[in-house]
Amino acid sequence: MKVIFKYADTYRKAMIIALLLMMVELVVELVQPIIMAKIIDEGIVVQNLQAVYVYGAILLVITALAFAAGIMSSYFAAEVSQGTGYDMRNEMFHKLQMFSVMKVQQFSTSTLLTRMTNDVVQVQNLLFAFMRIMLRAPLFIIFGIVMSFTLNVSLALILLATIPLLFVVMFLLMIKGMKLFNQVQIKIDQLNSIIRENLLAIKLVKAFHRMTFASKRFSQANSELRDKNKQALWVMELVMPIVMLIMNIAMIALLAFGSIQLETTSAQAGEIVGVINYATRMLASFGVFSFLIMNVSRGRTSAQRINEILTQTVDDEVDERREKEKINGDVTFERVSFHYPNMKRNVLENIDLQVKAGEKIGILGETGSGKTTLLHLIPYLYHTTKGTIYIDGKEIDQVGNNVRHDVTLVPQEGFLFSGTILENIRWGNEHLNHKQAEKVAKEAQLHDFIMTLPNKYETRIGQRGVNLSGGQKQRLSIARAIADAPRILLLDDSTSALDTTTESHVLQAIKKRKCTTFIVSQKISSVKDANQIMLLERGKIVEKGTHQELLASSALYRKISETQEREGVQLDDE
Amino acid sequence: MMNKRVRNLSADLKKPKVKNVHETLRRIWQYVKADKMMFLLVVIMVFFSAVLSLLGPYFIGVAVDVMTGTLSFFSFKLLLILLLGIFILQSVTIALQNYWMIGISQKAVFALRRDLFGHVLHLPTSFFQQTESGDLISRLTNDVENISRTLNSAIIQVTTSILTLVGTLAVMIWLSPLLTLLTVTIVPIMYMGMKWITKRTNYYFKERQKELGNMTGFLEETLSGHSMVKLFHQEKRVIDEYQQRNEKLRRAGYWAQVYSGFIPKLMNGLNNFAFAIIVGIGGWIVLATNSTTITIGIIVTFTTYARQFTRPLNDLANEFNMVLSAIAGAERAFELIDQDTEAKEEGKQALSTIQGDIEFKDVSFSYKDNEHVLQSISFHAKPGQMIALVGPTGAGKTTILSLLTRFFQEQAGEILLDGQPMKQLTNQSIRSHLGIVLQDTYLFDTTIRENIRYGKLSATDQEVEDAAKLANAASFIERLPNKYDTVLEGNGQGISQGQRQLLMIARAMLSNPSLLLLDEATSSIDTITELKITDALEKLMQGKTSFVIAHRLNTIEKADMILVLKDGKIIEKGTHSILMKEKGFYANLIETQTVYE
Repeated sequence: MKVIFKYADTYRKAMIIALLLMMVELVVELVQPIIMAKIIDEGIVVQNLQAVYVYGAILLVITALAFAAGIMSSYFAAEVSQGTGYDMRNEMFHKLQMFSVMKVQQFSTSTLLTRMTNDVVQVQNLLFAFMRIMLRAPLFIIFGIVMSFTLNVSLALILLATIPLLFVVMFLLMIKGMKLFNQVQIKIDQLNSIIRENLLAIKLVKAFHRMTFASKRFSQANSELRDKNKQALWVMELVMPIVMLIMNIAMIALLAFGSIQLETTSAQAGEIVGVINYATRMLASFGVFSFLIMNVSRGRTSAQRINEILTQTVDDEVDERREKEKINGDVTFERVSFHYPNMKRNVLENIDLQVKAGEKIGILGETGSGKTTLLHLIPYLYHTTKGTIYIDGKEIDQVGNNVRHDVTLVPQEGFLFSGTILENIRWGNEHLNHKQAEKVAKEAQLHDFIMTLPNKYETRIGQRGVNLSGGQKQRLSIARAIADAPRILLLDDSTSALDTTTESHVLQAIKKRKCTTFIVSQKISSVKDANQIMLLERGKIVEKGTHQELLASSALYRKISETQEREGVQLDDE
Repeated sequence: MMNKRVRNLSADLKKPKVKNVHETLRRIWQYVKADKMMFLLVVIMVFFSAVLSLLGPYFIGVAVDVMTGTLSFFSFKLLLILLLGIFILQSVTIALQNYWMIGISQKAVFALRRDLFGHVLHLPTSFFQQTESGDLISRLTNDVENISRTLNSAIIQVTTSILTLVGTLAVMIWLSPLLTLLTVTIVPIMYMGMKWITKRTNYYFKERQKELGNMTGFLEETLSGHSMVKLFHQEKRVIDEYQQRNEKLRRAGYWAQVYSGFIPKLMNGLNNFAFAIIVGIGGWIVLATNSTTITIGIIVTFTTYARQFTRPLNDLANEFNMVLSAIAGAERAFELIDQDTEAKEEGKQALSTIQGDIEFKDVSFSYKDNEHVLQSISFHAKPGQMIALVGPTGAGKTTILSLLTRFFQEQAGEILLDGQPMKQLTNQSIRSHLGIVLQDTYLFDTTIRENIRYGKLSATDQEVEDAAKLANAASFIERLPNKYDTVLEGNGQGISQGQRQLLMIARAMLSNPSLLLLDEATSSIDTITELKITDALEKLMQGKTSFVIAHRLNTIEKADMILVLKDGKIIEKGTHSILMKEKGFYANLIETQTVYE
């Protein structure tokens, strides 16, 4: 919760004004019955038309005043809540950009998304409500009790005793109810996941004729949801009748005590009526409390989730001031091991590797053998857990994320941003002119295809534009990578969807650039000419050498090579 | 016929409008009907609680008057006991109406969910192909949830509001028609004010939603492309772009909140205004006209009633929107129930065992009119043969498999299974002999064991593991931390494409089919896994008639018959060696190594 007010503090002035305006409204509301009493007592009862007009006019004026205050407070309260949300979002996003890849993965994209959207909206609503209605009800109750005390102390004591009792009962019930609702939400999620699964897999369901099986699973979850839902709703719906009953009993007590006091002491009837009046109004404002408790608890959870991000230490900060030294391209791995946090098994173990600038390295291996992880270590996206990597003879920890100025990685699935083709090519290098962009597109064998598109380089891709095939995405990713003129280029199986001819053209163009190149591939043909080829198995290098050497020394390599040669052609038609 | 209905449905999706309130309410009633008596009880309770909530304050007033001596009552104690009774009854009736209503509504929603899901499962495959799955899921989840929430509370609230409104209005007219008329003058002002505000809030909330959507899209992209941002050192630029979007969102959000904040103020202001009018004009009437019909007491009572009168009006407006959106949701849900399910299978024959002899006789098929996907396909696959389907995208390979799975029915010609037309056999019996290993298949969010067992629900753990071994899947499964009990999530995220294939083969192994349909993976699978898959498939295909959409020469060479498809027609047919000799389309394809990317 604290975090909300820390951020709202920027808008302290607006907040104070909003709260003051709310107080104006509150005061008017409290004064109203007094003026009304005056109209009746000093006007109508004594047949004084003048007084009716005067007090009537006052009533109209203060009503208008309260109305104006209410309208104005809306502007100020909105400024505070929207501004706070805006600042929180900016700060969170800034933090996220300074998080390492690992950290973002740990949080997972979907929870980060909900934190930055839903949770912030939740906090904004809480703030807005806080300034406008939430404070009113407690203030009203406090004020009501104070007024009652000025009227009649012993009756006010009855009221004072009832209020905490009401709070406790209400609070306990609502906490219980909210707990149950959380369970309901889990049941809803379970049910929805069954629905989603079976609809997405409908072909499978039908092909295996598992309709009855699916219905049975659904029915189970459905009845669990129904029962939980009933329970939760019952508890929640009990709150109001119980609160009403307690308050009403207090009212009877007021009446009983009042009548005794009337007979035994000098108490006035007006006092008793006044206290009863305030009690009635308090009961009415209790409805707000259920809303309040619910919102505060929701807002608190959201604030916690936001705070979790805001208090995280950034572990991949961009340091713009640091000297950028051009990298030559030597890479050395010295007994490098790596494992993910929270996992014991090493993904990479004791990797030794020496690569000179301009060399080409081929990496082969089964899925899960650690190829992608190995590539991620070089641009400092992941950090080694043991051993050291040297870039141009310098420890990578010293170069830090500045290494990325000269290292580029092309992922297998070819991640692109929405925008035009040109924008995507320029993504890493904004200063690229059209000519240069065309040049890299030609190198990536994409130019001819781009020219067939209606808007050529200005064609939008992604959700609102042209859909590219897997191979086209890969080639665009390659174009983007080489546009950055890297000294070290990492290709993570990023030519897998290309046919043999196109692939070899692309690889030829890359070779001409004379940068250090790491190629992860399934196809021996794409790494045949590499200076070194490594075979990875469960995180270890099991074979290392040139194509010829490996053909001679490794049975596994021979087997792969033979299988692929026999296949020869892929009648691929994606 | 079918297609047209489906298309209409997706057109309707875009604008969630209520078309037939009456019909939809009638259908919801069908679900509540079983508890008719209970429902009546709820309504009675609502009535009682409304009356009691009017009686309570009245008797408090009486008690005050008795206390002050302006009214005489035979016993003050008895009055208090009466009051206690009223209050207890009031709370009890409210609690009871809620309790019963929740029971009714949850029961109804349970039944609605059950019916919907059961119905959707039996819809024909063509329906799923033409309907966006996201929308379908939303109908079954969000829309039903919406109905559930509304049924719980809206009925009671609406009834209470109407009762209070009618009751208050009646009492007001009974007290003084003239003052009633004065009070009612605020209704048109309220209406116009609300209209002015909602016109703005609607606009800005839509704007806000749009900006929020924009921002979410941007977030999604930069978060899933986080490593790209890092690699290219674009953090600063992304932050700047984000700030711009955030700024737009703030502006839209600001106005939406400002205007929506006006609503309670307007209501409150009008209440106070009515109060002033009643007191001012009422007082003037009393004094200036010496009216005998309006007394001071009446004015005092009126001021409280004026408040009670606008509140249910406001509540009703809110509830109206809520109910409307629930009805729209219900309509969307019922639209699904109105879709025709797969044709009834009465009079069809079930085959307990099959040989696996398949013959296509002049089979034609089209998804839409005039667009032939398959034209006069004829061939004969003898038991145990392997048929390879080859050809460019859109040639109709997948459609042939879909006809065999009976997801679609041929429109002309005949498909014979063991000499019997498939149309005369039940889908269930055909599918029970079928094994499929598709590229785009789905893995459930459960253990690997259960995913394999899906092929044969009665299989023991041992059988499951044997099948996995036979399918060469055991080695990778046993390397996982929890082995067979590893829970898969998000459609098998975290295991590779090749491993998925192995699981699917294990699943097919377990179901031990006589007829196999395979779709070879096109995506890149490492050679070692590839070898495992090829080996497993060979074991699986042994002695079974199989149809393979093939992408690899290895596979195609082994086929007993290759069907070369183009534009929905078989253009060449024969073994590899025969087709190579013919030097036609197929030979050309192989020789030039043409790859359709």
